Amino acid sequence: MTFKDTAKNIVDVGDGAAIPTKSDRGLFTAWRIAFVGAIAALAFLAWHKPDPYFNIIKFVPDGIVVTFKVTVGAILLALVIGLVTGLGRISSNRLFNGAASLYVEVIRGIPLLVQIFYIYYALGRFVKIPDLLSAIIAMAVCYGAYMGEVIRAGIQSIPKGQMEAALSLGMTRGQAMLHVILPQAFKVVLPPVGNEFIALLKDSSLVSILAVADLLRRGREFASESFTYFETYTVIALIYLIITLFFSKLIGIMEERINADS
Amino acid sequence: MLTAERRVMVQASDIVKFYGRFKALDRVSLTIREGEKIVIIGPSGSGKSTLLRSINRLEEIDAGSMVVNGMDLYSPKTDLTRVREEVGMVFQSFNLFPHKTVLENLTLAQIVVRKRSKEESLEKARSLLAKVGLSDKASAYPGKLSGGQQQRVAIARSLAMDPKIMLFDEPTSALDPEMIGEVLDVMKALAEEGMTMAVVTHEMGFAREVADKVVFMDNGAVVEEGTPEHFFTNPGHPRAKQFLSQIL
Repeated sequence: MTFKDTAKNIVDVGDGAAIPTKSDRGLFTAWRIAFVGAIAALAFLAWHKPDPYFNIIKFVPDGIVVTFKVTVGAILLALVIGLVTGLGRISSNRLFNGAASLYVEVIRGIPLLVQIFYIYYALGRFVKIPDLLSAIIAMAVCYGAYMGEVIRAGIQSIPKGQMEAALSLGMTRGQAMLHVILPQAFKVVLPPVGNEFIALLKDSSLVSILAVADLLRRGREFASESFTYFETYTVIALIYLIITLFFSKLIGIMEERINADS
Repeated sequence: MLTAERRVMVQASDIVKFYGRFKALDRVSLTIREGEKIVIIGPSGSGKSTLLRSINRLEEIDAGSMVVNGMDLYSPKTDLTRVREEVGMVFQSFNLFPHKTVLENLTLAQIVVRKRSKEESLEKARSLLAKVGLSDKASAYPGKLSGGQQQRVAIARSLAMDPKIMLFDEPTSALDPEMIGEVLDVMKALAEEGMTMAVVTHEMGFAREVADKVVFMDNGAVVEEGTPEHFFTNPGHPRAKQFLSQIL
């Protein structure tokens, strides 16, 4: 009975790849065709025309590792920033609330590519940090704003009575948040956070404009030496597609488990 | 009147509360003494839940004063959590913590607020579950319980804090008819033990049987106040008469 008003309707945040669910058989089939098709296409090209395709495939794995470092690093940092921002957005403290809202508004209004340039060079002016770390911070600052909105929505989806019950037992707002609200909000935000992860993975290709040798950058290096632009970007696109589809499936399974639990 | 000498637990004086331009409470005063059982009744929208919720300041008031257990709720010196840990509250929608087991629901605030040890809080929780007849549900999650069971757990959760007063906000209104009895039985047992109680309810049988004092509210004001015998047999105010004729 109490679960009726537990909102499950904030899943559609972010622009990650479509997440297949059981109720959506058409999409599931589409996922299968795309995933198997992409792997088959890559294998066929490597076998049919090893030069340049197999050479490209051998050249880019370093880049995949860097892409993952950027993505995982940025999503973790963005979660921390997002939690603070999300709490700020619902805080009754005007300074905290104002700062969080301002951050979200500013970040949303500037293109990601511009932000990456800006934060990268702004950071470079004051501190000497590795390019990879700088790229991670730039991505995290941007995604932290979106993550803040996801977390805010997750917290607000928890019925008001939960906070009231915790307060009526003598808990402070902080204790209630920590023990009662956030653990429940965590379950609600997992799917949209997964979406953000996939969106971030794709957007991480933007860091290739910095001196960070991610998947796209490695491809560009190969292409510019061998003049095989079309072939290289075909491989790069297929690799991104395979990775993204893999994670969207993983998140779909995770989401089903959570729903089965509750 | 024996109760006259007892300590005052709740002193609400001239409470005014607005929702926007709607006056939900209009200079309401109410005294609850230790051990007293007050039942607040009235038509919906009469302000009875608002009044109850202002006793632990889940509802902010716009004017008047509220003193609970000797502490002024609106004094800057008052630590609100100190007041609230002595005031138990049971909600219409139970509001159990769905991500915690029944036992964890009962121990959480004991550990976090009362700073009791895990063993002590577990012992307390188990004995209270036995009291509300739900020992076998200790490791279940609230979602697996019926409404009546959930509400009994919610009562036990409040009692685990050893409150000095218990507030009940329409505790049986969300229940299927066959489950109302089991919750009222727990409340009656609590009343017999001498717990100070303020109950907002539509259960007239409960009011008649348990209440020391019935408070009838209409349009944000207390229009009649008295013993159940007086109220149910010979109400003075025409609104109270009308309400009773509709409900009985």
